[in-house]
Amino acid sequence: MIVLRDVIQQFGGRVVLEIPELRFMSSRRYGMIGENGSGKTTLLRLLAGTSKPGSGTIEGLEGKTVGYLPQAPYAFSFSVLQNVELALEGHREAKELAEKVLVAVGMESLANARGDRLSGGEAQRMALARVLVRSYDVLLLDEPTSSTDVRSMDLIEQTLREYVQRTQCTLIFSTHSPAQALRLADEVLYLEKGRLVEQGPAREMFHSPRDERTKAFLRHWSFSS
Amino acid sequence: MIKQVLELLFGADPELRQIIGVTLRMSVFSTLISALIGIPWGVAMGANQFKGKAILSRITNTLMGLPPVVAGLIVFMVLSRSGPLGKLSLLYSVSAMVIAQVVLISPIIAGMTANVVSLRAPSINETCAGIGIFGWKRLWLTIKECRIPFVTTVLAGFGRSIAEVGAVQMVGGNIQFKTRVMTTAIMMQTNMGRFELAVALGVVLLIISFIINSLVHRIQEQTQRDRTA
Repeated sequence: MIVLRDVIQQFGGRVVLEIPELRFMSSRRYGMIGENGSGKTTLLRLLAGTSKPGSGTIEGLEGKTVGYLPQAPYAFSFSVLQNVELALEGHREAKELAEKVLVAVGMESLANARGDRLSGGEAQRMALARVLVRSYDVLLLDEPTSSTDVRSMDLIEQTLREYVQRTQCTLIFSTHSPAQALRLADEVLYLEKGRLVEQGPAREMFHSPRDERTKAFLRHWSFSS
Repeated sequence: MIKQVLELLFGADPELRQIIGVTLRMSVFSTLISALIGIPWGVAMGANQFKGKAILSRITNTLMGLPPVVAGLIVFMVLSRSGPLGKLSLLYSVSAMVIAQVVLISPIIAGMTANVVSLRAPSINETCAGIGIFGWKRLWLTIKECRIPFVTTVLAGFGRSIAEVGAVQMVGGNIQFKTRVMTTAIMMQTNMGRFELAVALGVVLLIISFIINSLVHRIQEQTQRDRTA
């Protein structure tokens, strides 16, 4: 179990995240929704360890392997296959595993293409493959399908379900699509202006949100989608 | 005068050839040494967050705009007989000119390198952290991804080196057949009213400058094409 206590993160004097207490149970799937600037990326970065909290503690990650897909992953200027193999350096079956995961995300035909010459959606799928090629205890994904088309999104969601099933990892992801959160997550967290407004089982939250702010967000989303 | 200039350019004038030779030797050596200092300095600044980075960045930016005569003065004082390195007797030699050039160009290469690296490093660092790559391996990947812009920074350093006059005049002394380079020769010949040699050297400088700029432009175009393809 991962536990955040009294976590506060500030940038330039502005509080961007303030979480009094938050728990992520092992082997569960959590989807974070919220508008831009709600703190989703900040929270994922803290969990990934790429930034340290200004104050507060994060417990339960010691000794655990954490995989993280940032919102703007870097596409290295070598081949797609080599980009994926990067995560498996020293592994005896690196090539075979990389080829297998590229098939899973529908990228096998681009295995020899240069990573930095891919389209936005392709680069995102390659980056996801690079993370999914290894097994982690905790998998953090920051908007994993924000640039992909509907067909690729279905494939990625299916791949993610299989990955979680196989590895029994704790999945925490952010998305701008409440529908995706509903499809992939056991529990959904709604964040607004750096604060956790509501957390609960996915279906329950979407059908009967408790907080007025969650209701307003979901209503707005259903109108605009 | 054009005829005389062409005769100098395509003839076998020993002084002209010697001046061009000294200029290229000085510029190539000073650029290589500056790259060896400036690139690691710039990578360290651009790829990492550390205490004192802001002040180091400010110092580097200040040194990037260091007036050549000030660099010349510092090197002159250090190498002069009463200076800390006076015993080496390097003053008025090509080595002294190379040292002055290194003082001038290293911060320029460092600053440009830091800019190039800092554009890519945040994304590379975050991506690498996400798949468990840290330390030297991450740094090596960052350097590898910046290799083409690094060539541009080194070429810019060479361009600055070959066009420099103030510092090399002070520590080199513009000695005929020893430390006279194209820029100091142009200045002296102009002052003496001997425009043929000055123009011939100016043409050579312009041609070299054009070649360097063309190379930089080509590299930048190629990089742009790779990014948008």
